[in-house]
Parts: sequence; C-alpha cells; structure tokens
Amino acid sequence: MTTSSRPACEDTRREGGAGAPLPAADDPVLDVSGLSVRFRMRGGRQIAAVTDASFRLRRGECLALVGESGCGKSVLASALLGLLPANAQTAGRAVVGGLDLLAADERTLARTVRGRRVGLVPQSPSAHLTPVRTVRSQLQETVRELTGARGSGLRARAEAAAERAAFPADHLDRYPHQLSGGLAQRAATALALVGDAPLLLADEPTTGLDRDLVDRTVDELRRHADAGHALLMITHDLAAAERIADRVAVMYAGRIVELTDAPAFFGEPGPRHPYARGLLDALPERAFTPIPGMPPELGALPTGCAFAARCGHATTTCETVPALRNGTACHHPQEPTRA
Amino acid sequence: MLELHRITAGYDRRAPVVRDVSLTVEPGEAVGLLGPSGCGKSTLARVASLVHRPDSGTYLIDGESVRAWRHRAPREQRTAFGVVFQQPRQAADPRLRLTDLIAEPLRAAGRRTGAEERVVELAGRVGLSAELLGRRPHEVSDGQLQRACLARALVLRPRWLICDEMTAMLDASTTAALVAAVEDYRRESGAGLLTVGHDRTLLNRWCDRTVHWTELTQAENPSPPKNKPSGA
Amino acid sequence: MAETGSTPEGATKPPPDAATGSVPEVPTVWRSPGAGTRARGGAARRGTRALRTRTSAVLVAVVVLTVLAVPALVPLDEQAVDLGSKLLPPSWSHPFGTDEVGRDLLLRCVYGLRISLLVGVVAGLAATVVGTVVGALAGALGGWADRVVMRLVDVFSSVPHLLLGVFIVAMFRPGLWPVVASVALTHWLSTARIVRAEVLSLRSRPYIDAAISGGSSRLRITVRHLLPGVLPQAGLAAVLMIPHAIWHESALSFLGLGLPTHEASLGNMVQAARGSLLAGDWWPTLFPGLFIIIPTLAIAGLAGAWRERLNPRRRSELML
Repeated sequence: MTTSSRPACEDTRREGGAGAPLPAADDPVLDVSGLSVRFRMRGGRQIAAVTDASFRLRRGECLALVGESGCGKSVLASALLGLLPANAQTAGRAVVGGLDLLAADERTLARTVRGRRVGLVPQSPSAHLTPVRTVRSQLQETVRELTGARGSGLRARAEAAAERAAFPADHLDRYPHQLSGGLAQRAATALALVGDAPLLLADEPTTGLDRDLVDRTVDELRRHADAGHALLMITHDLAAAERIADRVAVMYAGRIVELTDAPAFFGEPGPRHPYARGLLDALPERAFTPIPGMPPELGALPTGCAFAARCGHATTTCETVPALRNGTACHHPQEPTRA
Repeated sequence: MLELHRITAGYDRRAPVVRDVSLTVEPGEAVGLLGPSGCGKSTLARVASLVHRPDSGTYLIDGESVRAWRHRAPREQRTAFGVVFQQPRQAADPRLRLTDLIAEPLRAAGRRTGAEERVVELAGRVGLSAELLGRRPHEVSDGQLQRACLARALVLRPRWLICDEMTAMLDASTTAALVAAVEDYRRESGAGLLTVGHDRTLLNRWCDRTVHWTELTQAENPSPPKNKPSGA
Repeated sequence: MAETGSTPEGATKPPPDAATGSVPEVPTVWRSPGAGTRARGGAARRGTRALRTRTSAVLVAVVVLTVLAVPALVPLDEQAVDLGSKLLPPSWSHPFGTDEVGRDLLLRCVYGLRISLLVGVVAGLAATVVGTVVGALAGALGGWADRVVMRLVDVFSSVPHLLLGVFIVAMFRPGLWPVVASVALTHWLSTARIVRAEVLSLRSRPYIDAAISGGSSRLRITVRHLLPGVLPQAGLAAVLMIPHAIWHESALSFLGLGLPTHEASLGNMVQAARGSLLAGDWWPTLFPGLFIIIPTLAIAGLAGAWRERLNPRRRSELML
C-alpha cells in the first residue's frame, strides 16, 4: 500500500505496494527487478549476459555479488551506471531514488546519476585517476562538478572528501603515480564519495591487491556502508565478501542463483545452491576441490538449469530453469547438513 | 636445484626492486613466496625463470651457473622452466588461437609431429574443451585463458614451474582447478615449483614450504630448507 | 516457476520471487540504449561515418577504374596539341576545357591522376617498407643499433621534407623515378618512429617473456609476435602515405622540379595554368586542382575508416 501523504517528489518511488509500508529510511536505495542484459553480436548471435536479476539494497547494507569471471556480474554493474556498449539491450528495472536507471537517457545519467545517485569505486584506481593531475585538483574538480562549490569552500570540501575516505591530507598534492596502491584506492574512493551518492558500487575493488590491503580496503568500504550508504560490491574474492557483506548474491551464467544473508552463507547452515557450495568448497581453507567442468557459454545457455551439467544432484526436473525461491534458484536445494 | 644467491634486480639500476635476495628451491619441492604487492617478488620470479637479467648476484641451476638471460640463455635452459603469469590477457598473443598459443613452444622447437595430440591432451588436463581451443583470447574469459596459459607452460614438460600470482585474478573454483592441474603434473613429473603470491592460506595449502619476502631480504644467507622428502 | 514444467525458457518469465518479498511482475521488454541522447548522437555519428566511408570507397573505386580504363580504351593522345582550340572554356566536346596549347584538359587530368596515383602508391609502399624494416630492427634489436638508427631518423627529420626532396630530385635528371625516390626517402621517417614505438611496447608484454621461456629465438619472436603486431599499423601508415605522396609529387612538379614539364602531371598542369588564371581563365587551374584534392580526400577517408577498425572498442566491453 502506498502511503496517503507521500511527498510529491517521491510519488514515482513505488508503483505497487510491496510488503508492508516502510518508512523512508528503510526504503531500498536500489531496487532491481527482472534486470536482464543481452548483447547482439554479429551473425545474429545473442549473449545473455544477465538474466532476470532481482534484488534490493537498503541504506547501510552491503550486498556482495560474487561469481567467476564471465558470469555477468560486471555487466550488471555497467548496466547500473548506463555504461553498456551500443549492442546491448536491457529489460527490467533498476530504480534508485525514483529513477529507473535502465530507462534513463545519457543526459540524465550524466547529470543526476553518476556520482550523484551512484558512486563508482573502480577496479583499478590507478587507471581511474588522471595521471597528469594531482589528487587535490581532481577532487576539487569533482566537487565543483557535483556540488557547484567555488573558492575556499571548494578547497574545504575537497579536503573533507579526502578525509572521509581516509586519504591523508599531506598527500593531496601528489600525482597518482606517487601513491601506493592503497592510497590510490582511497583517492578513487574519495572521488566516489564526493557526490554523497546513496548507492556505492564497487567493481572488483580488491583485484590484484595483497591480503592486508584487501582487508584495509574492504574495511574502509564497510565504514562507508555503516555511514549510511548502500554498498554493492562486485567481486570474485570470497574472503573479501565474507569480511564485508551483510548479504551475498551468487551469480552463475548470468543468473542470481543464491541470495542470502552472509553469516548463513559463509557459516551455518551454508549455501543451499550446489554451485555456491562448490564455490565455497574450492577455497584453500576448505576442501580446495574445484567444481568439475566449466560454466556454459552465455551465448549458448542450456534451456534448463545452467548448472545442471556440472551438478551431482541434477535430475530431469533440471531441464527447466529453476526460479529463485527462498533465496535459492535450484530444484534440489541442499539441506543444511554439511559433511 | 635452483639457487638464487644475493640477487639484486630491477628496472632501474639506481633503484632496484630486488636487493640482495637469496632463495633455494630443491628438486621436486614446492616453494611458496609470500609478499605484499610491489615488493619485488614477481621480479625475482622473472629472474628465476630466466626472462629478467639481474643486476648482480649468482644463479645456479642444478649446480650450473647461469651466465645469460632472455634470448641469450641456451634454449634447453630456458625451456626447463614453465612460466605462468598473473594476467592471462597480457601473457597471450591476441592473434593466436588457443590451440596455437599452447602449441607455440613445440613449434618453436621444430616439433610439429604429435603437437596436435599433445595440445588436446593438455587441454583435457587443464579443463579446456575442444571448442574453446579454436578461439582467440578475446573470445574467452580470464579463467579460460589462464588455463590455456598453464597448458602452454606445461607443453615442453618443464622440470621447473614458476607461477607468478597465477590465480590472483581468478575465482575460487578456477584457482582450485589450476592448482590441481599443476599438482597433477608435478606428481607425475617430479617438477619443482616456485609460486609467488600474497594469499597465505592458498600458498600454505599448496606448497611444501612458504617463505615470506622479508625473510629473504633480512637474512644474508637464508637458513637451508629442511630436508623434506621431495615429490620425485 | 517449478510447476510450469514444460515451459521453455524465455516464453513466459515467472515473476521474480526475491527473498525480500514479492515484486511487481516486469514483462521482458527489451530496450536498446537507443532511447538515450548519447546513443542517438552516437548513431548519427556512426551514420555519418558510414556515409563518409562509403562515399570514399566509391570515389576511390571510380578513380582507380578511370585511370586504368581510360588510357586503355580511349584512343586519344593526351599530348595532342591543337593551337586552333587553345584555352576553350568547358563545353560538350571538351568538358574540362582546353589548356594554353589546346590540349584536352579532361584527358590530361586523367593521365595526370594516373601518374600521381602511381607515384603515391609506389612511393607510399616503398616508404612504408623502409620505415617498417628500420623501425622494427631498431625496436627489436635495441641497444646501440636502436640509438644509431633513431639519431639518423632525427637528423633526417630535422630537414624540411620538401627541401630534402628537392635536394634528392636535383641529383637526377627530371623523371618519374627520381620523384618516387624523393618522396619515398623523405617519408619513411614517421613510419619508422611509429613502428619502433609499437615494437618497443609489444616487446615488454608478458607474452614475449612467455615466448622466450618457450624457447623461441629472437628471429621467431620478431616474425611471429612483433611483426604481425605492427603490420596493421604499418599498413595504415602506407595508405595514409598515398595522399601525402600525391601532394608531394604535385608540389615538386609545381616547383618545376618534378616530372618533365610536358608530362601530364597534375602539379605540372597547375603550374602551367598560372598565367591563364591571371587572365581570368579558371578551368585549367580548377580541374587539376580538384583532381588532386578529391582523390586524396577519398583515400584519407578510407584510411580513417581502417584506423577505426584497428582500434575497435575492445570486446572486453562484454566483460567476458
């Protein structure tokens, strides 16, 4: 049910009543439903990179989207930022603050989405920063661009943004190549935080970093979630996900196959989808055994469950696609009895 | 046995990234080298695999002193090492199909007969399907490309494997699969392994012995490795 | 959902049933990013680009066919002097008019274009081969060989092209081949630089390290990995060189240092027409001028399209 005295500017936020009417603070920052992305390739081939992804993300919450390379998780991130190439088509909705990101045109995306609604913490900060300009000048430009601040206010706000990302003020006048990997990551995070976007999107923020730096980066991201941002972290690093996430979404062959609370996922009772279990069992601190086989091509997905070919529990039922029910998209969800 | 003794190496003589480092790998032994990003451990791995000439220090392979690196090193010495790099995209010629990528060392050695069967056999070992072998690097995922790069490293049956952060970009299952493929090969051939990384849990699980970078730089002469039974 | 057991995927999508509660059903309506202004601008830009490429391709085809077919099929002498019909304005019998000794300008333009293209293609190819070999050697060998070669390139580059070209032409009797040599010898420098830079960048790739470790010889690495890597760039440089060479030849001829003055070269024709232009006769200047400008623009347009294909947006945009 929609509230009767809703503010005029927020009337697009909800179309149908969902569950119980929630106070604004509990409204999802990001509401993704039925999001699909496909690429049209030469020769009429189609690649179903993301199929029917649905999830919500609230303030102060961190959702880790995990999966192997090529499973479609980065495509999902690009879709949310409106950065898909021209041969992509999307379906479904991804609503942030009443705006459907998938339907927005480039002008809207550039003026009201990137940096303002969605802040991007990039995969490789050194490539994200302009090499020929100091961190301060890049921060100030972003502050000016996003807030319109000028003069001394500009300087103060840039320094405040650096401080929020724990970027040391005495390094502000350095160039990106003079920064360590950790500091470059913080500089990029500072840029992402300038617009005070309700949604932070971290795309593989820990790739190539060593464990200590992964932990530090992840802890800092967690701090921003605790400060009230909604955080969507895309990663293949399960240890990083375990450290930061409130909830975990496992993606396989373009579909979310498991969406569950992080403590239940990494601890007891553990994941229910056989793929998610296999992924955890592949960790060196666990069984260290790979899942047999390889994921199917996104351009030639089977008509049924995409994991069936690698799954020890597959039956004829698996010739149809399982829907995501109670957080697991599997015809034979595993019961919480762990070996 | 690989004996790197007091190696200093880098890309600028005035600021070497590796200073006075010593490391020994016994035949058949799996040594994991742990260290933070940018500490120089990858450079040391490049020196050990003969693709980077150190500024100073000595390197003995089975008691024989290495005098030349890169192209100048004798072929047999170079091909005794199978090398896998961190970023498969950078380590694969974008123009070669995966099957040519894997077979390239065989062709460079002039061994054309049986190359195809060898590629198919290796593809099976690393978990690549025949269909993927016909593709070019940009048509496969990072994980699939890294599998091909491992197959290339194994194609000449090296006595030593050097893995430079081989699994840093990969998901847990692909990591486990590649490590299993390396270990299968080592069990069968008795090859030694130097693997470099920053994941302590992984290296502890994988290797006979893990050393931290700081141990190599602080000790002038590292304590000789405990005589573990080697895999051979 | 599970009960619709036989429904093929995609026919009807079950409503997503997220753990957070029911979500209103979203029909699968595919949307291209065509709704966005960037996409529209992009489409328009792509359209213009495609039109430009197509126009260039047609023009180049027409030019090549003309210069091959006309001298073979039309039994007219482009040197035939007819003093009775000198400086006639364009008409049906002489569509481009005639020059100051009554030669048909259309015919001479076609022959001039043929010479220009010949010079352009031969000189462009020669310059590219020289540049690629020098650049690849410098890049692949490195060390002192690289330093010597590149200093040589610097020395050559410090002299203006045209001046050096004039110097080379002046050493020979006027004719086609000195012009080709002059253009080729002054134009390999940029290609050498491009190729060397490309080889240097390829040389530091880990896949070269992998090839070394795989036992490849230096020669094999150069032939198998480095040269194929630079060939598209070198080919592009060759095509871009053709218009440049055409202009260069015209400039040399205009200065009276190119082909013998009676030869129907476009530069010669513009040079010869200077006097009549002052008298108000525009056609002997205009048509040869257009014959220099339009084909060179068309070739450059094609080269531009090729360049865009060389740097396609990487397939990694699919993030596979």
